[in-house]
Formats: sequence, structure tokens, C-alpha cells
Amino acid sequence: MEKISQLQLAALIVMFQIGSSPLFLLGASAGTDAWMAVLVAMTAGLLLLVLLTLQIRRLEPDKDLVEMFKTYFGRVIGYAFGMAYFVYFSYKSVRNIREFGDLMNLYLLPSTPLFIVIGCVLFVAGFAVWNGIEAFSRTTQIIMPIVLIIYAAFFLMIYGSGLFDIHRIEPIADKGFGKVVEAALPEVVSFPFGEMVLFLMLWKYVASKKKTFKTTIRCYVYTGLFLTLTNVVIVASLGSISQISVVPFIQIMSQVQFASFIERLDPLAASLIFSGVFIKMTAYFFGAFLVGSHLVKAKRLYLVVGVGVVLFIGALTFRSYMQHIWFGFEKNLKVHFPIFQIYIPALLLLVMLFRSRLRAGGSRQS
Amino acid sequence: MGVQQGTKLPISEHLPSNVKWLYDELGASSDIVVRTFSDSSTGLDGVFFYIDSLVDQQTINQMLIGPVLAEIGANPNVKSASDWIGLLKNKALSVGRLKDLHDLNEALAQLMEGNTVIMLQGSRAAMAASTAGGEKRSVEEPSSQTVIRGPKESFTENINTNMSLLRRRIKSPKLRVVYKQIGSQTKTHVAVVYMKDIAKDGVVQEVMARLDRIDTDAILESGYIEEFIQDAAFTFFPTIYNTERPDAAAGGILEGQVAIIVDGTPFVLLAPVTFIRFLQSSEDYYQRYDIATFLRLIRYVAFFVSMLLPSLYIAITTFHQEMLPTPLLISLAAQREGVPFPAIIEALVMEITFEVLREAGVRMPRVIGPAISIVGALVLGQAAVQAGLVSAAMVIVVSFTAIANFVIPAINMASAARLIRFIMMILGATLGLFGIMSGLMVLLIHMSSLRSFGVAYTAPFSPFIWPNWKDVLVRLPHWAMKKRPIAVSSMSNLTRQGSGQMPEKPKKLGHERDETRESDE
Repeated sequence: MEKISQLQLAALIVMFQIGSSPLFLLGASAGTDAWMAVLVAMTAGLLLLVLLTLQIRRLEPDKDLVEMFKTYFGRVIGYAFGMAYFVYFSYKSVRNIREFGDLMNLYLLPSTPLFIVIGCVLFVAGFAVWNGIEAFSRTTQIIMPIVLIIYAAFFLMIYGSGLFDIHRIEPIADKGFGKVVEAALPEVVSFPFGEMVLFLMLWKYVASKKKTFKTTIRCYVYTGLFLTLTNVVIVASLGSISQISVVPFIQIMSQVQFASFIERLDPLAASLIFSGVFIKMTAYFFGAFLVGSHLVKAKRLYLVVGVGVVLFIGALTFRSYMQHIWFGFEKNLKVHFPIFQIYIPALLLLVMLFRSRLRAGGSRQS
Repeated sequence: MGVQQGTKLPISEHLPSNVKWLYDELGASSDIVVRTFSDSSTGLDGVFFYIDSLVDQQTINQMLIGPVLAEIGANPNVKSASDWIGLLKNKALSVGRLKDLHDLNEALAQLMEGNTVIMLQGSRAAMAASTAGGEKRSVEEPSSQTVIRGPKESFTENINTNMSLLRRRIKSPKLRVVYKQIGSQTKTHVAVVYMKDIAKDGVVQEVMARLDRIDTDAILESGYIEEFIQDAAFTFFPTIYNTERPDAAAGGILEGQVAIIVDGTPFVLLAPVTFIRFLQSSEDYYQRYDIATFLRLIRYVAFFVSMLLPSLYIAITTFHQEMLPTPLLISLAAQREGVPFPAIIEALVMEITFEVLREAGVRMPRVIGPAISIVGALVLGQAAVQAGLVSAAMVIVVSFTAIANFVIPAINMASAARLIRFIMMILGATLGLFGIMSGLMVLLIHMSSLRSFGVAYTAPFSPFIWPNWKDVLVRLPHWAMKKRPIAVSSMSNLTRQGSGQMPEKPKKLGHERDETRESDE
């Protein structure tokens, strides 16, 4: 079985959590306090991670999610839950693909039909999945420093061109802390902090299992802080436009003028979208593929192509970018995702604890 | 494997039948020499059998025939054939390598190597003396991997010369050499060289196993072997390094690589290898570390430039003009005014023209070469621009790409960059920056999935091996590189030099004064 190292897991977590989130303003309904919403959501997500997701892993470190379902819920119900998560991971991937396609269309390739962009990126993602988790995590490990350096360079340029004004985030907690919390839960927890549930499929591939807990927590906290920082930068640079801009970060980048020859850097920022969303999307593609391989016995190539086709059709189902965003914010974040990210894992954890206590009790008696 | 094992055909006591069998097997070729010697008084009847075009005639005359005839003259008594064999071996035959033969197929193999077979009437045993000769090229400067500072010796086609060049550099008794013969018709000698306790055992065994699996007619060059034993069949990237320089080969062996020397070619294979090894040159270690680091960084940049520059130019001028600073944009637009073709066609035409020029330059006779290539390229470039077929910026882009390609020290990696460049150009022309990024992503994923004899190709970028970074983007001074690279060397023996060797100022400054004309007061 392929193994990935701790550092590769760290790179995966960081790149996955970052995704394309630094480019957007998370928790926009809190206004200029959006960055505080991110902090609140991060803490809530941390609780979720430590108390729920990592506990599930601690009880069964060598099994992935579908195997756990099959063990603890029985074969039939476990299969049903597996199907549900297949749909969930595919849907998540579809959302990422659609976002990616629309943003590419918006900023890089205005005249290219959407299905070509989506088909192209699905091909690359399928290639990554087909090559296996090792190749994918190595790729992420190589990309991560580059992405972080580009972000750092961008921050420097934003600061250097005078767009940054820290006073725009004042007044802090003007409308009260309650508004902040309202913006944070459950939306920001769902996206991007609750998405760690995907790693229940990937943790079993990590070598040296002892350090996984610490690595995961540390990377999670780092990314949370990084997202807070980017939110601060966005709010401080754009002020009130940040809440109505489609992609605030690119808006900032298009205004950066540095050294009189670096200007209009949207395509470079689009490359950040590319790498971030690509890794997130491929991670979900991977998750769907792994779940699928437990449900259906098929050759690797056919399974990859099959899932890819499903994703392709799914991505084109949304009628427009607006519908995709609206559906995401209104329906998914509030209702659907908490089921998969919180409720079902909680159920699983309860069953696991119950069963293990039964087993421990039983073994004591006999 | 690959060498046909014939059935055992013992040497008979009847000398003429042996000779006839060998003669017929070789097709009665006219370069066979059967030199008989007999002495009726002692009953000795023997023959020297050799192939004229393979042997060193001096050795045969002076070391074999001469002493044997002298010995016959000194022994007038009758002896048995086996006594004579012993006598010849111990008192007459003056060569170093002498082998006993009992089988005619073995004798045939020895003949094909250029050795002389000595057979006696009445004896079931024969002897083969090592007399291989032939013209050899002398050790010259390497034609491909040249350096300014460093040894200017290169391997030659003769495997013995190559082994001696290596052995003179690594005088350690831990150097192990294993000889094989690969190729059923060519029976090419192949030597596998490694350092025991430094090279990983698993790697050595894997190399041997893969070499043994080769089943083919002819091995004419190390490239044949490379294609048979490499890890991935369908990839642009080479996974086995080749070099013409003995110092590069010795350096690799001392870091734990296994060298494969093939008779008939000066190019020696080295495995396992990672991606960055192809962008390193031996000169990095001979010049000072600061300039070595600088040149290394230039090489990395040049690799990406030679792969991406034309495609980036095409993508930006076609799709993302807003990225260029306005004055540059205006100038480029003005240049492209009269050009009839879109950027991709321009680029493809210029690139293919350059590739044709480059290939022609390889084959042109040396005398005409420089004149035609320089003037031709200049004229082509200049005239094409003036005719309005291509824009000047495109000529600059294409020529800079080509020059950047020559910076890459290993030709196989440079070829990979050349080929990928075309794919990138097409991607850039159809899908702009997005296409280029997708292409780069596919390339990165593909490279991450490659392994070279068990070592990850993208090491030490990932898996991240921090100690190995001393020799990747920078070249730390020699006193700082205390350990051998992990993943290539055996983990049990990593330390290669002592610590605390950084040069320091001497503690006591000399009390000598600098020489001046002033007096002591």
C-alpha cells in the first residue's frame, strides 16, 4: 500500500484547507469583522476536529471511512452510508470544479467554452488520481512552498503599493460580538473548516501514525491563522467593496502597481486559484475515487474515468455561477454539509464508542 | 542469459578432429591461423589456434610461440601429453591470464574474445592464453561534457581502459566490479561497478537482476542497456544518468550510485539518479562554492526558460496582453503589425527551423560547419524579420530558448526540455496561461510518480530530505558536506568526512614584518 510521510500530510492539509479561500472574504455578513468570524469559526472547527474527527481516527487508525461504516454499521447500511459519502465527495468536487471553471472563464479565458476548461482540468485531476496518493501528495509538497511564497510576495506588493490601510477594519465588533458568531456558524465552519472530514479517507495512508494527531492540529491552526490574515488584508485593502466584490483578492491585485512595471497581475493571482482549487478538487476526486473503489470492484483506470465523467456532468448541471454560489450559501452550508461533516461522524463515533465499550465489557466478563 | 549455452562438447584426444571442428564452426574464415608445432622425436604434436584480426600478434610471437619453441628444443625426451601441458604452462607460456579448457564450445568462445587456444595431440585438456589486441583510441578530452577547471580525461571504447581510469581514481579495496556479457551475438562485456558498504544492497541486486533479464541480439551502446533496464518506459525524463567523464562517474560511485560500463562506448551509466542530478555539473565541485551556487541557480532558471519561454510569450501576447507593461505592449504590437501569421505559427516555424539547423550542425563536415551555421542562422533570422515573416521579438525568444537549452549539462535532460517545449507551445496557444499551468501540473504529477531504482525522482524536494539540500540549489563548501546524500547511499554508512574542518584564521599571526625599505626604528 502506498505511504505518505508526515510532511506530505502536512502539505496536503495546508493546501487543502487554504484551497482558494484566501481569495474570498469569508463570513462576509459580518462586514468588517469578517476576520473575527474566521477566528471564531476556526476555534469551533478545532473543537469539531479534536473531539469528533480525530477521535474517530484514534479508535480505528488503519481503516478509512467506508471500511469503518462497513464494520460498525453492518454491510448493508455501511454500503448505503458509503454511497452517501460518495455523493457528498463528488458534490464537493463538483462545486470546486464549477467554481474553478467559472473563475478561469472570468479572468483567464473569457472566450473559451466552459466545458472545455472543465474537461481539461478534470483530465489533469484524473491523471493525478490515477497516479496514486503518493504522486499526488508529492506534487502537493512541491507546490506548497511555491504557493506560500507567491502569497507572501503578493502581501508585500499590496503593502508596498499603499493599498493597505489597517484602519479600515475599525471599528472592531461595532455591531456586537453576536453578529460575528452568527456569521461564523454554521457557514464558515462548514467551509472551509469542517471539510477535514475528507481526511478520514486519507489518514490511513500516513506512515508513522504517532505524529499524525499533532501534525493535523498544527497545520489546521496555521491555516486558520493564515486565512484570518488574508481576511484582514482583504478588508484593510478594499474596505466596504470587499463585501460586494466577486473575488476580492483579484480585485486587489488588479489595483496593485509596483515599481512602475509590475501591474495588473490578475493572471498571476489566477494561478493561485488554479493551484489551490486544483488540489482541493483533486483531493475530493480522490476521496470519491477511494469510496468508489470500496463500493464497486473495477480496474483503476475505469473507476477514475467513471468518477471523472460523473463529475463532468455534475459540474455542467449548474446553470450559472450565480446559481452555484446561491445554492452553496443558502442550501448547502446551512443544511446539507453539517449532516456529512458533523451529524454522521457524530453518529459513527457514538456507535464506535458504544461498540468498543461493549467489546471491552464483554471481554472483561469472559 | 543472452549467451547461448551449448551442450558440453569435450575436447577429444585426436587433435585433427578438434581443429577441424573449430575451423568448421568458424566457417573456414581466412583470418584463422592454425600454427602447428611438432617434434617427432618426443611425440609432441600441438597447435596454436587464433583469429588473426582479434589478437595482438606481438604477444603471440614473443610470449607464446617463442618460449614454447624454445622449451621444445630444451626437452628432447619423450613425455606424455599431460606432462607437456604442465611443462608448457609452468615453464613456457609467458602470459598472465591462462585458462584451462575442457570443452570445445568454451574454446570457441575464447577464440572469439581474441585469445589463443593451445591444443596438444593426446590431451583432453587445452589452454587458452589471453592475447586480445586491436587498435584502441587513446584517452582524450571528452567531447560532450567539458569543463574549464577539472580533469580533461574521458572514457574510451575499451572496457579495460575505462576500468583503469576508474580504479586509478578510487583506490579503495571496497570497489567491487562484476563482469557480465550481454547480447547473444555481440557478447558485449559489461562491468557493474559499485562501492561495497556505500551503495545500497537492494539497488545493486536490482541492477544485476535487470541486466540478467536482458535478452537481445546486440548491445552496441549503453543506450541500448538504458532502454532495457530503466524504470519507466514512457516518459520524457531520463531515469539513468550517463557520463563520459571518469571523475563524474567516480563521484557518483562514491555517493552510492552503481556504474555500468559497456565495452564499445565511452558513455558510462549511473543509477539511481534524481532529477536534480541532471542539472549538476562536475565543475560545480571544482570551482569555488559561491560561483558554483550562482551557476547552479542559473541552470535551474535556464531549464525552465528553455521549456516555457516560447509558450509564455505566445500565451501572454495572445490571451493575456494586460499583463505586459504598457510601453512593452505597444512595442510588441507594433512589431507584430505586418506579420501575417498568428503567434503560434510564427513560433512553430522558427522553432522547427532552429531544430533543423541544430541537427544539420551535428552532421556537417567540420570545415564548413561554423561558417554555414553562424552566417546561415544570422541571415535566416535577419532576413526573415526584414521580410516581415516573423517579428524580431520572436527571433529573440527562439534564440534565447535555444541557448538556454545548451546550459543544461546533461543532454538527455536537455532533450526532454526540448520536446516538452513543443507541447507547452501548443497548450499555450490554445488555452493560454491556463493551458500552460495545466501542462506544468501534469508534468509535475508525472515526475512525482517516477522512481529510479527505488529512489523517488523528485527527492529531495519531496519526500523532503533536509540534509540533502546542501547540494541542490546551492553547493555548500566541501567542509560542510559531511554526510552522503540520504536515499542514494546506504543508510548505515553516511559519514564521509570529519567535522570541524572549516578553514579558520591561524591563531598566531606571524610576527614577520612585511618587507619594506624602512629601517627598524
